[in-house]
Amino acid sequence: MLLRNSGLVLALAVIAGAPLVAQNAARPAAPVGGCPPVPAMFHPCALEKAKTFTPPRTRSGKPNLQGYWRGRLSQAFSVEGVRGNEPLVGSKVMPWEIAPPMIVDPPDGKIPYQPWAVPIGRIGVNFSQYLDPRTACGSGGVPRLALQDADQILQPDGDGYIVWLFEDHHVQRVIAMDPRPPLGTNIKVTNGDSRGRWDGNTLVIDSANFNGYNWFDDSGNFYTDTAHIVERLTMIDADTIHYEVRVEDPKVYTRPWTLVWALVREKEQGFELLEEACREGQRDLDALLGTGIKFYFGDPWRGR
Amino acid sequence: MRHGFTSALIAALLLSVSASRAAAQAPARTADGKPNLQGIWQVLNTAAWDIQDHAARLGVPAGQSVVVGNEIPYTPAALAKKRQNFESRATADPETKGYLPGVPRIMYMPFPFQIFQTPEQVVMVFEYDRGIRNIYTNGTPHPRGPLNWWLGDSRGRWEGDTLVVDVTYFTDETWLDRAGNFHSDALHLVERLTPSGPDHINYEVTVEDPNVFTRPWQMRMVFYRRKDPNLRILEYDPGRLADEARAGR
Repeated sequence: MLLRNSGLVLALAVIAGAPLVAQNAARPAAPVGGCPPVPAMFHPCALEKAKTFTPPRTRSGKPNLQGYWRGRLSQAFSVEGVRGNEPLVGSKVMPWEIAPPMIVDPPDGKIPYQPWAVPIGRIGVNFSQYLDPRTACGSGGVPRLALQDADQILQPDGDGYIVWLFEDHHVQRVIAMDPRPPLGTNIKVTNGDSRGRWDGNTLVIDSANFNGYNWFDDSGNFYTDTAHIVERLTMIDADTIHYEVRVEDPKVYTRPWTLVWALVREKEQGFELLEEACREGQRDLDALLGTGIKFYFGDPWRGR
Repeated sequence: MRHGFTSALIAALLLSVSASRAAAQAPARTADGKPNLQGIWQVLNTAAWDIQDHAARLGVPAGQSVVVGNEIPYTPAALAKKRQNFESRATADPETKGYLPGVPRIMYMPFPFQIFQTPEQVVMVFEYDRGIRNIYTNGTPHPRGPLNWWLGDSRGRWEGDTLVVDVTYFTDETWLDRAGNFHSDALHLVERLTPSGPDHINYEVTVEDPNVFTRPWQMRMVFYRRKDPNLRILEYDPGRLADEARAGR
């Protein structure tokens, strides 16, 4: 609680490389929403459960996803998972924890990078030469935001928008639920331009216009400014959302691929999102940049 | 009798006119019967540069005060600090560091913001620095302090058609404008948002800070609805833009 109250402490912890999220999100052995606690097994089980679960409704009759949520079956190290024989598992500075991939398609759990992008992604050029954009107090980005800390989904009066608020660096996503024309392609924003619709009981969020300045994870896996991301949120019981993220980016992958984890309701009495000012408490940026590490603004993929 | 009939007719006419006028002015309502403040809003004033009367300077439009009575009741020491802030504003203004600008300053930055409502919460989402104000209208009190938040802690309630917001727990690191007007971490605000028609909100904020001011004082301004078709809140992240410039992008 104290940690969450203090942007300064948090910023310092992030900069010091402490895997704060990993500390919070020890992988559960217990089932999640009645399904196995491994993304590849949770995924088909949850989709099956969704067929028979009738979600609560808002006053206007829409599935009611409102409330506070936290990512589960997720970890911040790598969406491709962490194997026991990796050097970082034994790191004294930032030990990674062994974890299964969050990628359910392709079945090998690997991002289908084009050959040029392989050495840039997981523990590659990004990781070794660039400052994690989240450490630099940028947004975690889509979908990394939803695996970090707490968030809140609101369905405001009139059903014109869904608002998704994240404690992580005070980030908001405003999801327009009407069929208005998309933003011009020259307008790039950190969390993309998001349009939502209901597919039965599933909230589908379609996003583009990303600036490509965000990573999927601590290891530097990435997308570019041509990414097209489709998220699907489906309640499988009163306190669990099946969260599926399909990523398409012809600039960097050979095919679309899919991530899955769970969002589990935060039930602490009186829980509220707190203000997490990051930049305002940051003190070590100059020292970090002094080591030769660079800001990440998509340089490794720019010009592709 | 004839006279009385005419009077009654005129009275009835007047009544119906004032009734229809009242109907025209009654704000739209949410499903739970509260005034519907949702939409994209923006000020059309120069308070971001200077909340008081000021002549034009290079890059600064002239503007009339949003401070009621124009005078801010600084203590003598605080007035000296304000003048010093003004002299060093080019580097001392926290805005130049890309930090969250505080409340009420974020309300009159020259950028749009969007209001959303549920029965429990009024959420304001700002294009400037992706700010978020969560105004709880569910009857909960301020949390137990001490806390120092850049946008404070906001608890709201409806008084008739006015949203009244009590804001506390600030830092002493934000200013009120680019002219060096400032406050301490003892700042306490009471904001009143009253729709005056479908496209206007009257905004009044009472500013109280015994460390800096000798008495509470007020600002008043209007939020105008942005009606451009397809308008969306975009992104102006001053810190990231400064980092990009630093990286030579």
